[in-house]
Amino acid sequence: MSTAVQKPVIPRLLQAALVIAGIYAGFWLIFDLILAQPIPQSLMVMYMFFVVSGVFMVFTFTEESARQLIAPIRALVEDQTKKTLRNVVFIVVPALAAVAVFFQLQPSDEAPLELRSIHPAPPSSVKIFGKRYDLMSLENPYRHLEKDDPEQFQELVAVGGEVYIRNCQYCHGDKLDGKGPYAQGLNPVPLNFQDIGTIAQLQESFLFWRIATGGPGLPKEATPWISSMPIWQEFLSEEEIWQVILYLYDYTGHRPRSWEHE
Amino acid sequence: MINSLNQSGMKPSVRPHHSRLLPILLSMMVLCVGVAEAQPGDAERGERIYAARCMLCHGEEGDGMGAAAERLNPPPRDFTMAQYKIRTTTFEEIVPADEDLQRMIHDGMPGSAMPGWGDVLSEQEIQDLIVYLKTLAGLEEEEDGNLIDYGTQVAVSAESIEKGRVIFHDGDRCSECHGQDGKGDAVKKLKDDSGYRTWPRNLTKPWTYRGSNDPRDIFARITTGIAGTQMPSFDDPASAKRLSIEQRWHVANYVNSLAKTDKVVRPENTVIRALRLVDQVPTTPDDPRWQRALPTTFFLVPQLIAEQRFFTPSNDTITVRAVYNEVEIAFHLEWDDRTQSRPGDETAEKIAGPGISEDAVAIQLPIQLPAGPEKPYFLRGDPSHPVNLWSWRGGASDRAPGVSLATARGPTNTTERDPAAAGLKGAGSYRDGTWRVVLRRPLVTTDPGQDLQFVEGEFIPVAFSAWDGSNGEQGSAHTLTTWYWLLLRPPPGNKPWLFATLAFVLVLLVELWWAHRAQTRRYT
Repeated sequence: MSTAVQKPVIPRLLQAALVIAGIYAGFWLIFDLILAQPIPQSLMVMYMFFVVSGVFMVFTFTEESARQLIAPIRALVEDQTKKTLRNVVFIVVPALAAVAVFFQLQPSDEAPLELRSIHPAPPSSVKIFGKRYDLMSLENPYRHLEKDDPEQFQELVAVGGEVYIRNCQYCHGDKLDGKGPYAQGLNPVPLNFQDIGTIAQLQESFLFWRIATGGPGLPKEATPWISSMPIWQEFLSEEEIWQVILYLYDYTGHRPRSWEHE
Repeated sequence: MINSLNQSGMKPSVRPHHSRLLPILLSMMVLCVGVAEAQPGDAERGERIYAARCMLCHGEEGDGMGAAAERLNPPPRDFTMAQYKIRTTTFEEIVPADEDLQRMIHDGMPGSAMPGWGDVLSEQEIQDLIVYLKTLAGLEEEEDGNLIDYGTQVAVSAESIEKGRVIFHDGDRCSECHGQDGKGDAVKKLKDDSGYRTWPRNLTKPWTYRGSNDPRDIFARITTGIAGTQMPSFDDPASAKRLSIEQRWHVANYVNSLAKTDKVVRPENTVIRALRLVDQVPTTPDDPRWQRALPTTFFLVPQLIAEQRFFTPSNDTITVRAVYNEVEIAFHLEWDDRTQSRPGDETAEKIAGPGISEDAVAIQLPIQLPAGPEKPYFLRGDPSHPVNLWSWRGGASDRAPGVSLATARGPTNTTERDPAAAGLKGAGSYRDGTWRVVLRRPLVTTDPGQDLQFVEGEFIPVAFSAWDGSNGEQGSAHTLTTWYWLLLRPPPGNKPWLFATLAFVLVLLVELWWAHRAQTRRYT
């Protein structure tokens, strides 16, 4: 039974366990602690399944290494001198299984996950103010003034600012950071226009569509039923919407995307 | 102004002997503590920052008449009045400490539309702005005011809180406006110097304090009063209600203790866990068994989405509990409302704004449990996904309080129904600034096409609305929550125990079989 194998400093089984624990800790460190974006538990179970399989594949690559790996387990069962330890392990392992099953079967209190697309693909054309607009070619009618008549442009930005403060700041905030006085009571939270991932990534026609048709104008993948964005064509004129778009870009310093630069 | 060589304030300041630069240098001295690198503020630079960041709300002239003025409550500050809510200079001073202005700009005014600008403006920019704001108020030539005397702070203790409680209620000193429980439930109508309606602070909600609810901050508000409002100074020698420094510390400690509440919104709590009872569900709001159910508090936001939009809410949170048994479900809704609004009632009408209507609350539920992720539109459903609205009204002098039931298919598409037909019942009570309402209904009704049928273990979308009738709220003018979840949490039963035992036996058997095989192999 006993083969004269060089015993590694750390038993191979413990090595494998340490590697698995190390990878798990790494996940936790990076996603929970550093990125503050914990991985959902169901996904974690799947990842760890692959990790455990992978580790065992590596650790049982040769027959010799496989034997080393299971040696302590075999010894536990076969070595009569370890009888007490074996009895303890034989009770603890089923007990752990029982506890895991018990908690797995408790009814869950976790709210169902709601996945939604934040920037859904716009329709190619859309009906706003009773007119049909082609979103691919639609441009802000005031944008050209930025070069042609900077003074008038600044006046329009100022008018857009007044539209914003009267209508939008309650949710999107004075600082356009999505932290208006009522933002906390809303789900999904209002968009942060200062963020490089919002209006800086979009064309002005996209904003026109999103503002004019509001939450209920969203396609289904963007969960229109929970968006608090009003249908602004009911409250604002077409001109006011284009002016407030000027203000959003002017205040944040972002540039709208356009076909020319792509 | 009295000169600034004072021993009473927090920080003794030194007076350099320059004439024009004096106020600026002095303010710099005070501010040097945290901002060693900041230069003296510059009014011209400040004006440019004001135009870019402040003007839209506070107006071109600094008079608070920006584009949104009438849609904000509280309204934007009128800087020409030289009145500042957070002030640590004594009550007879006009000039706030620069530190006070710095704090209001840097941290903002919690509970109002004024955000903290500390993440956008540099300390230097804030200094520039302070100098400009003082010119708007005509304070640029004024010397710094005397800081209030904090004396020796009295530490928070049960004894101090009790002393504070007695002073708070003595001769209705504070409770006259702030209410018996400190909820700001008004007994008289208050207006600020500009004629705007103001409400006394609900002292049980620390997140609405413009300053913080740190005893030191509360001490400062009690000592100087709040400029422009009816909150007086309790350090005024002319006042019969004047308090000593020690007494003010006791009151500060008492007020601080009021704000220790479990009605704080925890954003991660999105599920109302209904407790299963074996006996009858409680039918009155004051039944002690409600304490066994887990409370969940949600933000109420004004209805800004559909006509008529509503901008100036007074209710800000609602706390919900739910219980059920085999046949019935009951909700307990609790929210602070400063006024019991009973149209026709003389006292209520005197305190209310014009056009008093009934206080009310509503629970919104989908009629059909959503099969997928798609829910009804959160503002009163939509034509293909109607919702049930269970409402409770607080009553008027000629109308008893009661429940109503409606089916809604969108913001303006509502059909009233007979609540008795669905078995909807309710009861409510108002006491010391808080409404408590119970709404209950059988789990299943005879009309599944019109009423939600409750199912144990399912996540059911639920939303709430509230109306403060003394704040002009009726019809579409109200506050609401977005969709949250209701879970009728079934008792886990025997299943987990059964399967856990099974798992134990199974694993043990495998082990024994293995050991047995190893043993036999060894001996053969």
